[in-house]
Amino acid sequence: MTRLVRAELLKLFTTRLMLVLALLTLVLIAFVTVVRVLSTPDSGLSTLGEQRSIAQFASAGAVVSVIVGIMLAAGEWAHGTIAHTFLVAPSRARVVAAKVVAGAVGGVVLTAFAEIATWLIAAALLAAEPVPFRLATREIVTTYLGILLAGALAAALGVGLGALLRRQTGAIVLALLWPLVVVPVLGIAGVGKYEPANALASVAVARSDSSGTLLAFGPGLALALLWVAGFALAGTVAVNRSDIT
Amino acid sequence: MAAAPPIEVRGLTKRYGSTTAVDDLTFSIPPGRITGFLGPNGAGKSTTLRALLGLVRPSAGEARVEGVPYGRLRDPLLTIGAVLEADSFHPARSGRNHLRVLAAAGGLPASRVDEMLEEVELTGVARRRAGAYSLGMRQRLSVAGALLGRPRLLVLDEPANGLDPEGIRWLRDFLRGFAANRGTVFISSHVLAEVAQIADEVVIIHRGKLVAHEPLAALTARTAGGTVVRSPEAERLRALLAQTGEEAATVDDGELRVATPPERVGEVAAAAGIVLHELRAQEASLEEAFLELTAEERR
Repeated sequence: MTRLVRAELLKLFTTRLMLVLALLTLVLIAFVTVVRVLSTPDSGLSTLGEQRSIAQFASAGAVVSVIVGIMLAAGEWAHGTIAHTFLVAPSRARVVAAKVVAGAVGGVVLTAFAEIATWLIAAALLAAEPVPFRLATREIVTTYLGILLAGALAAALGVGLGALLRRQTGAIVLALLWPLVVVPVLGIAGVGKYEPANALASVAVARSDSSGTLLAFGPGLALALLWVAGFALAGTVAVNRSDIT
Repeated sequence: MAAAPPIEVRGLTKRYGSTTAVDDLTFSIPPGRITGFLGPNGAGKSTTLRALLGLVRPSAGEARVEGVPYGRLRDPLLTIGAVLEADSFHPARSGRNHLRVLAAAGGLPASRVDEMLEEVELTGVARRRAGAYSLGMRQRLSVAGALLGRPRLLVLDEPANGLDPEGIRWLRDFLRGFAANRGTVFISSHVLAEVAQIADEVVIIHRGKLVAHEPLAALTARTAGGTVVRSPEAERLRALLAQTGEEAATVDDGELRVATPPERVGEVAAAAGIVLHELRAQEASLEEAFLELTAEERR
């Protein structure tokens, strides 16, 4: 299993995928952070709550991590490399499991990059404003640990989704449209806080109590893990039943 | 107990919806030889190979590698190497990194990657993106991947497709070398001339069914049957054969072709005191044999 995880990590870091996704995340983070800081009055920027909200833009890394997972799984079908993978490792369940682990590592790396980038950009912008600097507090560290964990889980969930659909573009489109289309509908139905995106958001926000559409950290983490396991299992079943033609 | 054959296919059937790609196929190939796997496009060759390699689930029957299904091989890379499509690489990953991935998954040392790159003459372009490789280079990279674990058995699916003459020659020399070192090769192709130059025996399928499985020489001889005879008195011999009910066709000046076996032609000539310059069984080319064997199916 260790060697399969190593192979999957090599796949992840021997193309430009991570670099491209990191640049995409950086552009996204830089844009929203600059706009938010410049458009918020100093009185607002002075509060821990506002600075924490700005720091939470790093969760863009966790969102993009879903794509890392999807491409790690479905990308193999897109490029036809899945045959090589199964020739070396005929146990498809082990391959999916290795991808889940490697995807989680990739998610952590990308999300950590997003956190560092967000923190540095926010720190530079806040330093130029006449407001107290609250980015080096325990609350921010807790928030970043939650986002990091959410990034790992998001990438792992992406692997399950990619394995389930085995269509790279379709899986990415579904993942991006999900929060825009499906989440609001589920919210209206009153089950929004239990769907995968909000379960991950509950982990990222890391609140001690349930509020609005999010669960508290503990139940949120348990639910997110269940979603990851569910998608990985469904992906394994789908991959086991598929012919590599 | 006798060792299991390198490849054994028993009652293999694969259906895609209402289409039967492989139909109750049974054969096995011997060790240490090059066996050609022939059939027209769409005959079911690739499906058979993919079922053998555990990539396609049979609808019925089974395919085994050294006595076990592919999925149960402990270290597949050390047992069997497979060369499938030449374009199944991530275009942005270098050739060297492609092999590093395979080596890591197979638990092989990274040094083996560089050895294989050297062996297939790709060291100079090893760090270039595989997407920028020529077809010949990609084919060599496939071969390098298949040989990483020093397997005893090599399976190739249409390896000569799209290769230039230099590439085909390289592949042919390589396969001969592999077989000379007691390796077993199972090579599918619809390029009959290519297989005819290297195969010891052939398995021929058509529309998913076995048509023939025998040594190449036996196949070409069996499907030909007739006799080629050359004599300065060819016309006289032709007349004598006609008297015995054998129609001989004059092909060239002094050369006849007749459906009668060589022994009978020789007896007729000897009885009449006719000098013969050549008397041999007419061998068909693999192409002729293939077309003859599949003619019934095509009609």
